[in-house]
Amino acid sequence: MHHAATMTYLRAALTSLPMMLMTFIILSRGKLTHDPRHLFALVTTFYFLNTLFFLMVKTGRTDRWRAILFTVFAVAFVISFISHYVEARGSMALSESEILECRTPFCHIVIPMTIIPLALTRTIIFPGTMTGVYAAIASMFIIWIGASLSLGRGFCAWGCFLGGWDDGFSRIMKRPIIKSIAKKWHYLSFAVLLAVALTSAAMLSPTYCEWLCPYKAVTEYVQVTSLTRLVQMIIFMTLFAGLVVILPLLAKRRIQCGLFCPFGAFQSFTNKISPFEVRVDKNLCVKCRKCITVCPTFSMSEESLDKGKARMTCIKCGKCIDNCPKGALSFHIKGTSLGDDRTGQRLLFLYPAFLFLSTMAGGNIQSAIVRIIGLFTTGSLLTH
Amino acid sequence: MTNRERKRFPAGRPYFDIGVAGRDIILSMDAFLLGLSNGVVCISYCAPVLVPYLLGQRSGVFSNLGIVARFLLGRLAGYLAFSVLAFTFHTALPASVAARGLLMGSTYIILSVLLVFYGLRNRTSSPACAARGSGPFLLKAGRLWPAFAPAILGLLTGLTICPPFLLAFTAAVVKTTLMDSVAFFVLFFCGTSVFFLPFPLVGSLKRLSVLSTVGKLAAGIVGLYYFYAGLILLLGVIKYS
Repeated sequence: MHHAATMTYLRAALTSLPMMLMTFIILSRGKLTHDPRHLFALVTTFYFLNTLFFLMVKTGRTDRWRAILFTVFAVAFVISFISHYVEARGSMALSESEILECRTPFCHIVIPMTIIPLALTRTIIFPGTMTGVYAAIASMFIIWIGASLSLGRGFCAWGCFLGGWDDGFSRIMKRPIIKSIAKKWHYLSFAVLLAVALTSAAMLSPTYCEWLCPYKAVTEYVQVTSLTRLVQMIIFMTLFAGLVVILPLLAKRRIQCGLFCPFGAFQSFTNKISPFEVRVDKNLCVKCRKCITVCPTFSMSEESLDKGKARMTCIKCGKCIDNCPKGALSFHIKGTSLGDDRTGQRLLFLYPAFLFLSTMAGGNIQSAIVRIIGLFTTGSLLTH
Repeated sequence: MTNRERKRFPAGRPYFDIGVAGRDIILSMDAFLLGLSNGVVCISYCAPVLVPYLLGQRSGVFSNLGIVARFLLGRLAGYLAFSVLAFTFHTALPASVAARGLLMGSTYIILSVLLVFYGLRNRTSSPACAARGSGPFLLKAGRLWPAFAPAILGLLTGLTICPPFLLAFTAAVVKTTLMDSVAFFVLFFCGTSVFFLPFPLVGSLKRLSVLSTVGKLAAGIVGLYYFYAGLILLLGVIKYS
């Protein structure tokens, strides 16, 4: 018995070794710093990431450990982003002149709004900079294309720097108070996508960012200099409170990501080209509906159980797989047989997915640690 | 120019006299080409209203042809109203910020009310069900809605002044007769309408039943967006008048 447990640890450690090597290279960027604060941040982040990956391999659970990293990432991103922003510009608010000078940081949520105007006018309708700056348009497009080809909508569980907020809030309550949401609303994010894509093409400006983005409450926002800006600010705050905090708390689901985010809806289509999917083994499934109850983005339904796979909105977080009492659900590589080497297929998904999350999260977590140390030692999150 | 050409076209005379009819054709072509060159912008302004409506209707390609035709007729009615206005006042009224704000603000708000009404209306319920809990006006409106809605939406989008339309209006105010002004807008409308031809093809997606839900919800969201936009425009007019 003891020997078997040792072997399990050893196997998990060996499986985690490539990830340790890759995360070390990514986090250190090939050189070790001599600054003690940065060195501490590097070592802490390295251990944090690799402990979670080791636990994923060792316990066979995915979402339980992913969610910790994903939520920490979202909080770290906000600490790092706001501090960086205040250091660079002196305020969290974006002035009208900075918008006119195209100095607005680009976020992946804008991507679906740029497609139609790009096709019609060959212009990116966002006041950002293409290359060479923080959150440049080209770099975000490249990250998005890479992630879409490999993970599809897995981007929403393994790469989005904002999704950890409602993911985190959706895990606080033990039981949901809102137990079901009418099926009609499951398509709301697609309606938001259609509406913002069309209105953005008409107005030649990203209407979601201007009017509907709840995350403006925790990132940069446009300076309140007019009635319009005030109305927009009130809408952002209300949406953040409702969609990111209150509803995820009450429903224990990712309401913003599952029911409202237009990027999430847009990203669902990339699930068609991603090689990974979540499948249901109909021979093992006893239709206990546990997966339907826990899915954070409403991607499991009676129909999907009948079809043997999750809906196209699946974010591949692994929560349904973790919760299935019969082990009927699994990560699956398209084109292979359902019963083929489930552990191997899971690992083939986990390596790119976790590496992507580590790449996106690593720098932000390190930066946030350095800034928090600074807060305790100098009384400020700012480094200069 | 060769000597032979100099003999054929002496200096100071036009190469050929196009005549009144010829000039009319060229002027007509002007309006039509103006419409053609700006049609993409026109559809980008009309699509937020038309596409969610077509998806919400869940009709086939041929039924959609009828809907788009009614939408375009409504839009034409809006254009004709402007052509009369352009001739009557001989002034670029929409170029005045206050007038434009007032017109567009109120049009946006009416449009938003209609779109939200459309988004919330349950198309699948029978008249008997619809009667429950709704007054006679709403019931009548609900019955008449499918026939008139596209035309009303077309009229309202025709009245919202998009940049190409403003261009057309500016060109039309110099027309000397009412018929010239009307003809100019009709031809401008024809030029822009070419770009609406692919819209009925939305009907090929009708077997995807969820698109009807998506279309209706999107209509509601676009309605809310227009409501904000209309309100802001009206408040701007009140503030600066």
